Amino acid sequence: MTISIWRYSHLALAVSSFVFIFLASVTGIVLAFQPISEQIQPYKSDGFDTVSLAETLSVFNKAYPEVTTLEIDTNDFVSASVISENDKNLNGYFNPITAEFLGKKIESSKVFQFATTLHRSLFLKGVGRFFMGLCSFLLFLIAVSGAVLILKRQRSIKKFFAKIVNDNFAQYWHVVLGRLSLIPIIIITVTGVYLSLLKFNLLPESNMSQSINYEAITERPKQDIAAFAVFKNIKLTDVKSVEFPFSSDVADFYTIYLKDKKIVVNQFTGEVLSEINYPLVTLLSTLSLNLHTGKGSIIWSLVLAFASINILFFIYSGFAMTLKRQKAKLRNKLKKHKCEYIVLVGSENGSTIPFANAFYKQLLKAGKTAYITELNKYQTFKKAKHIIVFTATYGEGEPPTNANTFLQQLKNTEQLQPLSFSVVGFGSYAYPDFCQFALDVDRGFTAQHAHQFLPPFKINDRSLEAFNQWVSSFNTASGLALHIPQKKLVAPPKRTKALQVVRKTEVKTNPDNTFIVTLKPAKNLRFNSGDLLAVYPENDYRERLYSIGKVAGNIQLSVKHYANGFGSNYLNSLQQNTVFKARVINNAAFHFPEKATRVLLIANGTGIAPFVGMLHENTSKIDTHLYYGLREQESLIVYKYDLDVVLKNKQLHQIHLAFSRVGNTKYVQNLLQNDAVFVAETLQNNGVIMLCGSLAMQKGVLETLNAICETQNQKPLRYYQEKKQLKMDCY
Amino acid sequence: MKTYKQLLVVGVVLFGLLSFTLPSESTTYKCMIQMTNYTGESAYVVVSLINPKGDYEETLSVQGDDDEWYHDISEWWKFYGKKRGNIDAITGATIAGGARNISIIAIDDSKIDAGYSIRFETAVEDQEYYTKDVAFPLTSETVKSKQEGTGFIRYVRIMPN
Repeated sequence: MTISIWRYSHLALAVSSFVFIFLASVTGIVLAFQPISEQIQPYKSDGFDTVSLAETLSVFNKAYPEVTTLEIDTNDFVSASVISENDKNLNGYFNPITAEFLGKKIESSKVFQFATTLHRSLFLKGVGRFFMGLCSFLLFLIAVSGAVLILKRQRSIKKFFAKIVNDNFAQYWHVVLGRLSLIPIIIITVTGVYLSLLKFNLLPESNMSQSINYEAITERPKQDIAAFAVFKNIKLTDVKSVEFPFSSDVADFYTIYLKDKKIVVNQFTGEVLSEINYPLVTLLSTLSLNLHTGKGSIIWSLVLAFASINILFFIYSGFAMTLKRQKAKLRNKLKKHKCEYIVLVGSENGSTIPFANAFYKQLLKAGKTAYITELNKYQTFKKAKHIIVFTATYGEGEPPTNANTFLQQLKNTEQLQPLSFSVVGFGSYAYPDFCQFALDVDRGFTAQHAHQFLPPFKINDRSLEAFNQWVSSFNTASGLALHIPQKKLVAPPKRTKALQVVRKTEVKTNPDNTFIVTLKPAKNLRFNSGDLLAVYPENDYRERLYSIGKVAGNIQLSVKHYANGFGSNYLNSLQQNTVFKARVINNAAFHFPEKATRVLLIANGTGIAPFVGMLHENTSKIDTHLYYGLREQESLIVYKYDLDVVLKNKQLHQIHLAFSRVGNTKYVQNLLQNDAVFVAETLQNNGVIMLCGSLAMQKGVLETLNAICETQNQKPLRYYQEKKQLKMDCY
Repeated sequence: MKTYKQLLVVGVVLFGLLSFTLPSESTTYKCMIQMTNYTGESAYVVVSLINPKGDYEETLSVQGDDDEWYHDISEWWKFYGKKRGNIDAITGATIAGGARNISIIAIDDSKIDAGYSIRFETAVEDQEYYTKDVAFPLTSETVKSKQEGTGFIRYVRIMPN
């Protein structure tokens, strides 16, 4: 509930102000280059940083009959207004050491003038200023509510900058860039609001009146200005501006505006007549102006430009996400109390909804009465017989927003008829609490003595294959013949890159029907061992994923050939030098650790492919051990060359093999059990265990590992998984 | 040939000297405008010479270089806006609240003690427009004096340079 309030405010604020924010950002990007264009002008003189005020004033007084003002801007350019020999005003930049005239003041170009007016008042003067100030304040609230949303998502302040999983372009970058530009945006908005308040006189007024006793001012003892102690002690870098005495009357004096105070000095004796510190409002105003405009700092200006560009992106990605959520809304044809089948959905960002919707529509098509709604809208459904739950898990095993009160409601709601239920969990192996909430829902129904129609089923990364697998088991159990149209669930191939086949081993010569195919990216392509390669055999929505091993800069896949295998047949049919298109999917959760005390690699069958690549990349020679399950000794031949190389280079310390078809059947988990102490010690000392291979192997290995952890270390395996010491990629 | 050229040069120089010196029986004055501590945008200040009939005769100085806003100084704009003479040489930046500005203005000696007066108009974005923030007759006394302002100007000091 709390999340939705924050999200609602975040959206409502954005909707109400995005037009103004858009204008402010676009003009802001342009204006960020104004301070940069000024800074690169050649008016900063050598020696500016060391010269004293006394030296500069003395040289100016000698060089010109009269000087009226001197100013130092944020770019450290010295400008002055002097009256030259022929009674002409001369304004511009001067050298503070020689008093030489350098050039006219920089006139801000028409583009900047236009952008400035648009940026602060939309050419509407006072009204426009008010709106821009207000929109600055709204943007501040948007930034704050956005920060709260990130906090809620990450569950703690410590994890604020922790990694997030990239499963949606708009959403991922909205969060990543949001975190990066949060502080600049807060600074921009707070200073923007401050500057607006200043314009509308809403800040406490400052009283800077000076009290000078005019009677007591004397011309004696006269001193040369170069000898004024007060001026000698002031560096020019600390000065903002100097007002010269209007006439040679002793009641006219020097007024020096420093960074933090203003002093008044007798023009003949150098005596300080008055000294006033600026009030806080003035100091804050200067600070706000410099921070808001980037005056005087190229780096800060660039940060401001970056933040402004990001704001534009947030407007786009924010609306893209909202539209996606709107699209995923649930619509019903039938009344809830007339339906036998109730489809319940739990989804945080709407990505589970297409699956639930597709299933719901097929139920209707099959002539069943079906009703679809959110988990939180659970209630007594008068005719319900079957409940099917499709739910994601949010954060660390928490329910998604639209399911957060479900478990409580489940306990308090009576159904009129005996129910059967099935739960499908959607999630990602990248998170330790994979589909945890789905399991909680399953347990909740069991506790209500409902009939478990199908065991809970977990789907990784919205896998269509897994979903179809579940649908077919549902068909078997129910006697229905539902067929889910796949096109709506998977987008056609995007961002594919050309790859060339370098070589391919023969299937025939391998006892396991396994072949290795080596691919060379046509263009520069960034990938790591452990990433996935999505192959599109028919160049349509159907994709097949293979784990990548990076060997000598090439992509190396290990593929088991099946007679009717959609993907394996396609890859096996590729001839040497053929070029085809495929997509690399970053799988950062399954990369070889950069630092670890020890790494255990566990694989069976073709699961060794990413590990072969990782071992080649193990240049820092981390103590690495491979546990590998395969059918027989001959199965190893295809990998032998690669493994010999890494063994020889000490990139792999030891290989432990388990043969399932020779003598006593042995699996990798048996090897682990034999090395229980070693395995436990590895985890204890912050080592990492990586797992790649079949789901059957994964199940066996996880059970064994958990048993080892509990007996040896008195901790569940989960403990290490949360510390990211367990990485898996199984299929 | 050579002599012709020299003659030409001398002629041009003479002509230049004469044409610039003849009407220049004017004196330059140093003029300081001290603003009050008002808050808001910087002020546009226009200094004009007013003839005995009370009409604008000449613009002496303009503080404010963005001509987009000149029409806001409406009285003066009625005079200047028609002809739009070149005022680049006498134009400076706007003056902020609490700040002071010193500029050099040139006034024909014939205008002193002859019924002419000088006028300072001020205007600030979204605030008042004072047509006669400071106004005083031009006499040999007032050209070295201090005059109090009635609007954004606290006072004006003027003295021969």
